[in-house]
Amino acid sequence: MSGFHRFSITMRMMFMCILILPVFAGLVGVLMPAFGFFPALGETAVSLKPFSQLFANDNIVTMSWLSFSTGIFATLLALGGALLLVAVFYQRAWLNRIQHLLSPLLVVPHAAAAIAFLFILSPSGWLARLFSDATAANPLPPDWAFPYDPYGFSIILALTLKELPFIFLMLLSTLSQPQIELKVKAYLKVAQSLGYSHITAFIKIVIPMIYPHIRMPLLAVLAFATANVEIPLILGPNDPPTLAVAVLRWFNNVDLSMRFQASAAAVLQLIVTLAALLFWYLGERGVAKCSPRILLSGTRQWSDMGLTLFAAVVIGVYALIALLLVGSVFTWSVATYWPYADMLPQGVTFIHWQTALRSLAVPLGNSVLLAFGVTVFAVILVLLALEGEVQMTKGMSPALARIDRSIMHITLYLPLLVPGVAFLFGLVWFQQMYFSSLTWLHLFVSHLIYVLPYVFISLAIAYRRIDPRYIKVAYGLGKTPLTVFFAVKLPMLVTPIAVAFALGLAISFSQYLPTLLSAGGNIATVTTEAVAAASGSSRRLSAVYVVVQIIMPLCGFILAWWLPNLFFKPSLQATPSSQGVKVYESNP
Amino acid sequence: MSLTLDALAIYKDNHLMLQVSTHVLPGMVTSVMGPSGIGKSTLLDAISGQLSAPFSTTGQVIVDGKGVHDMPAYERQIGMLYQDPLLFEHLTVSDNIRFAMPKTEQKRLGRDQVQAFIAEQLSKVGLSDIRHRAVQTLSGGQQARVALLRTLAANPKAVLLDEPFSKLDTTLRQQTREWVFAQLKDRSLPALMVTHDMEDANSANGEIIEVSL
Repeated sequence: MSGFHRFSITMRMMFMCILILPVFAGLVGVLMPAFGFFPALGETAVSLKPFSQLFANDNIVTMSWLSFSTGIFATLLALGGALLLVAVFYQRAWLNRIQHLLSPLLVVPHAAAAIAFLFILSPSGWLARLFSDATAANPLPPDWAFPYDPYGFSIILALTLKELPFIFLMLLSTLSQPQIELKVKAYLKVAQSLGYSHITAFIKIVIPMIYPHIRMPLLAVLAFATANVEIPLILGPNDPPTLAVAVLRWFNNVDLSMRFQASAAAVLQLIVTLAALLFWYLGERGVAKCSPRILLSGTRQWSDMGLTLFAAVVIGVYALIALLLVGSVFTWSVATYWPYADMLPQGVTFIHWQTALRSLAVPLGNSVLLAFGVTVFAVILVLLALEGEVQMTKGMSPALARIDRSIMHITLYLPLLVPGVAFLFGLVWFQQMYFSSLTWLHLFVSHLIYVLPYVFISLAIAYRRIDPRYIKVAYGLGKTPLTVFFAVKLPMLVTPIAVAFALGLAISFSQYLPTLLSAGGNIATVTTEAVAAASGSSRRLSAVYVVVQIIMPLCGFILAWWLPNLFFKPSLQATPSSQGVKVYESNP
Repeated sequence: MSLTLDALAIYKDNHLMLQVSTHVLPGMVTSVMGPSGIGKSTLLDAISGQLSAPFSTTGQVIVDGKGVHDMPAYERQIGMLYQDPLLFEHLTVSDNIRFAMPKTEQKRLGRDQVQAFIAEQLSKVGLSDIRHRAVQTLSGGQQARVALLRTLAANPKAVLLDEPFSKLDTTLRQQTREWVFAQLKDRSLPALMVTHDMEDANSANGEIIEVSL
């Protein structure tokens, strides 16, 4: 084995350690105070007092139920919507259009989406203005429960609209894997030849086949939805809030003794998330048990027209909301006086932009610096880890390779399945205990935990798809593993690397809780400032922050699509006369 | 230069799949024929040092009188040619060939001479005007020729061919086949070819090894 191969295997171990160690350290750091052990606050005896304090809280059941129910309903709705869109539009021209509509929404940070929703749903937002009585002399905003409704409908709506594109694109990514694509197309042909309609064939044959492939990301979405902080903080009820928001408030309480209760609540949040995952698992079992009756009923067509219409309505509503969200924040960001119930402001000004950009200069610099550092490191580490995977599994028996893949799979999703509020506080405790002066390092690590899995998932498909014969040819040409990695594999992966890079930037830009906790509020980013501004008095400044939040990741993706074509495609650099010339020859 | 397989046996999960012993003389092409799934391509992987689990081997691979069995793939100097040309799409035609040239040779020749060498190689096979072209714009026959030039530019001591002509149409197949065998003969390179096509094996005019279940 070459030195480079050994190095890449070491990097793979490091990759796994970076994902596992902070999560476990964080869990330990939360579990100890949850059981009354916190030497820094003078408590060295293990007790259940924090839990009894927590359960003495009248609202604890409501808070837990809010977290559980909003997560389950949002994930169910997002999954249902995504499956419906794929089932109806697979192999249709509209699929690409829908993909183009939903992809940009994926990169909008949760905090930005929540603030934009706030603008629409609030009693003085566009929705209320649209239905206000224009004939009244002094129209008043309606007295409706949104967006802070006690049942969490606003949270469910925002989470659903934010998660649907993710699940939809995960489905498409699975369906585009060559082996699966071939099988799916063949299955659809066979099913249609047996008399099943296209949509019914997709639902009965393809969905059961591809569901296992999206199961892990789906569970990650569910875990995230039950423990998300940004959306419930901005759109959710205040008294009581969701459990995750309560954890955040108790941890940030000036009374340090609240840390015990906060830690106990973080453990409870972990239990709520696990309960949601268990509920989902039982739901899957239930569906699996009932499905043969439905699948084998012989029904060839399930109202294709109705499903198509419903899917069209879903996509129409989606497009409308997306348009309203973007339009609303852009309009607010340049609005002068805008009395209720006018649909548009009385004038346009850029003063809010000037003010906001001045105050955003430092947070913007911090966001970009951090995101670049983290993403460069993540992309390099992931590429080496993938190379390490190839070398490591080469000598393994298929059974051992399967075990290795499973361990990697679980490791990869660990930070996405364990709620951030359940381990980030503990991680901060460790960080402060041992390296209290290295704030940027803490921030780097806490962002890296979230960026690494997405970069890996994004790059792994392309990396594993490289035709191994190219590598064999290169070795046959006498090239060392290092040369093959840099001169053959990386240039072949330049577009996926650029996309993974843009994705990494977007994930880092969107981090709220890790930034807030790891830096202890000392390092501001655009996202932390935007969330802080959302509860402030100026809706216009808040709108500018949201627009900046949307533009930042989009810039990354635009560069990712443009740069590879510019630098790495000889076919595009060739002179016009030599491009695309078909040569027909008589002699070889 | 010669290629010798001395009782080279391939095992899958410790079960013997096939065993081959042969000696390929310089400029000769030995053909390996047999049904699909018997392990013909795996044999080429074993010779080139690119076999991975669950396969393992015993026996010897001797290239130009030297045992290479314990060497990593990139040190064996055994070129590979597949049914697809597998030209690197991020490199131009000229860069694909240059990529294959050993560093020492590039240093010895110097930048201009390297370019002149590539131009000469291409012009010898009637491709002088495509040096700076993107490989995706070449026809199947052109790609096959560039792929062989690339393999030869690495100065291999033996060449392995894995159904190299199976994707070409009948006319092109015959022409390309004759040209490839002539090039190998000119350079006195021993070659082992895996094929399904009896015509390929007959044209090679060398030993034919039939492997069966």
